[in-house]
Amino acid sequence: MTNLLQAIFNGMLTGGVYAVVSVGLSLVFGIVDVVNFAQPEFLMMGMFVAYFMVLMSGLDPILLSPLVFLVVFVFGAIVQKVLIERVLNAPLVAQIFLTVAVAMVMTSAAQLLFGADFRSSPTFYTTIAVHVGPFQFSLPQILAFVVSGSMAAILWAFMEWTDVGRAIRATAQNRTAAVLVGVNPYRMYVLAFAIGTGLAGAAGAVILPYSYVFPTIGHDWGLIMFTVVVLGGLGSVPGALVAGLVIGVIQSLTSVYLPTQLQNLVVFIVFLLTLAYRPAGLLGR
Amino acid sequence: MYARLNSHPFKIVRWALLALLLILPPLIFENRGYYLRISPLVLMFAGLGGAWNIIGGFANQVSLGHAAFFGAGAYTSTLLFKFTGISPWVGMMAAGGVAGILSLVIAVPTFRLRGHYFALGTIAFAEILRVLFLYFKGITEGPVGLCVPFVGHSIWVFQFHGNVGYYLTALALLCLTFFVAYRVKMGRLGYQLRALSSSHEAAEVVGVDTYRAKLWASILSSVLTGAWGTFYAQYLCFIDPDTVFGFWTFSVKIAMVVILGGLGTIWGPLVGALILIPLDEWTNVVFTGNLAAVSRLIYGGLLIGLILWQPRGLLYWLSQVVERRRQNEIRMASTKMEASHE
Repeated sequence: MTNLLQAIFNGMLTGGVYAVVSVGLSLVFGIVDVVNFAQPEFLMMGMFVAYFMVLMSGLDPILLSPLVFLVVFVFGAIVQKVLIERVLNAPLVAQIFLTVAVAMVMTSAAQLLFGADFRSSPTFYTTIAVHVGPFQFSLPQILAFVVSGSMAAILWAFMEWTDVGRAIRATAQNRTAAVLVGVNPYRMYVLAFAIGTGLAGAAGAVILPYSYVFPTIGHDWGLIMFTVVVLGGLGSVPGALVAGLVIGVIQSLTSVYLPTQLQNLVVFIVFLLTLAYRPAGLLGR
Repeated sequence: MYARLNSHPFKIVRWALLALLLILPPLIFENRGYYLRISPLVLMFAGLGGAWNIIGGFANQVSLGHAAFFGAGAYTSTLLFKFTGISPWVGMMAAGGVAGILSLVIAVPTFRLRGHYFALGTIAFAEILRVLFLYFKGITEGPVGLCVPFVGHSIWVFQFHGNVGYYLTALALLCLTFFVAYRVKMGRLGYQLRALSSSHEAAEVVGVDTYRAKLWASILSSVLTGAWGTFYAQYLCFIDPDTVFGFWTFSVKIAMVVILGGLGTIWGPLVGALILIPLDEWTNVVFTGNLAAVSRLIYGGLLIGLILWQPRGLLYWLSQVVERRRQNEIRMASTKMEASHE
């Protein structure tokens, strides 16, 4: 019983990070109507940016995460403005393969710049565990969960209560109507894409204390992100948050009961089943 | 669109040129040389692209999981050969069969999906197979991969001396693939697929059974892809799950060949493969060691450039150029005629 509960708690901790990484992808799909296959690479980029900022400043990666968000935000805005914007009306294949190509370029550029080595950026709390009753938790994961949660809360508040957030939501709901009331949809697309990718980047900084950085780390995250987003309903921000936790718990439970090699198998099956039977997602209409 | 290119004398010349071009490599390149080493791969990717096009191009159901059928085909014939000694030629048919059955399995969860959702579903399917083949080490050897047992250079077991035999096999399989694609495109199924590619609902209204049409397209596409899997296994004599079921190694590359050449065209995949595969091989040779990533950087950069410039592929661009020329000629001819009337 303790093992089971421990696994569930651990899953929720990792799930919180999954949620924040994926919420950006969902946001981009909901507003720009493009599935960004390069989203995992923005996470990788965030990790590298954070890694080098830590090297230069000696500060903690979590403290630096707002700065990392800004850097990736700007880069994401450029990608949307220069590349994605041109294929918004192109055939689906062109949209899919443009983001796939962006992913390819980002991964290989990282390989060229930083080599294929695994790097890590341990902090003083990397190995600390917190004991609560019979359970124990790793401190960096708790921190990552808390910070991810606050990022999600800030995103929610921004979308809900600011004019810009309302304008973004309006564009997603009805583009023509949004244009009529004076919203420039292209600007909103750029903003949404930049926020979405920036969040993935910031999440990269948050998980840096306990995970390795390497150019192809995006490949490990890609399917998790897509599963979370699909389970939550493509385009649904609260859905992605709930689904992140669910996937984290599922993954953690399967690793208790099944061999580790099959850990992702269950995730993929959940993914396919959701697509088939609840394509609108958990919280879908 | 191709009116001029299809005029009769031009047509014969075109076919003769093409036949010459395709039969040329084994005649001019050395049997064990480098060029004849990549030529069959070019044909293979052209064939894979042609097969992908049936569902991805004609029906616009963008599959990012064709590695599933490819890998299943490669493993089917290789395992049959290894454990029972059944000739890979028979194995190739079995491979097509297994891939065809798999396409029925994947149809259940994915055929209701449109657009992005379909693409995502196909990725997950290929990944599931990859994980399973990695896990069941007892049969598949897992990540270590499988070597196709070497029996000797014999046509009966699909093992040739040098590359000419493989080249000719690939050429034959390519002809078959393109023939199937051509028949689909020009036939009833092709019209149904084109109808549903722009709108499922509209197609249903005019009486197209969209599920059935997609199912047939998917079966044909995956059977051919599975057969190519066998070819790959025999040609390289080695397969492993991360490669043959890989997202980047096959799923993406197969579709890329088509996008580069021309989506929904018969010859587009050949054009795409003729550019992409030699480029790939060249960059792999030139940029080694620390610079290995340059090859993918070029690859990705090229793809971005192409999609921004011609999202419908090179053949579409070519046909537009030809069409514009023809329009100009007609306009000039008619002005001449008007002038002579006066």
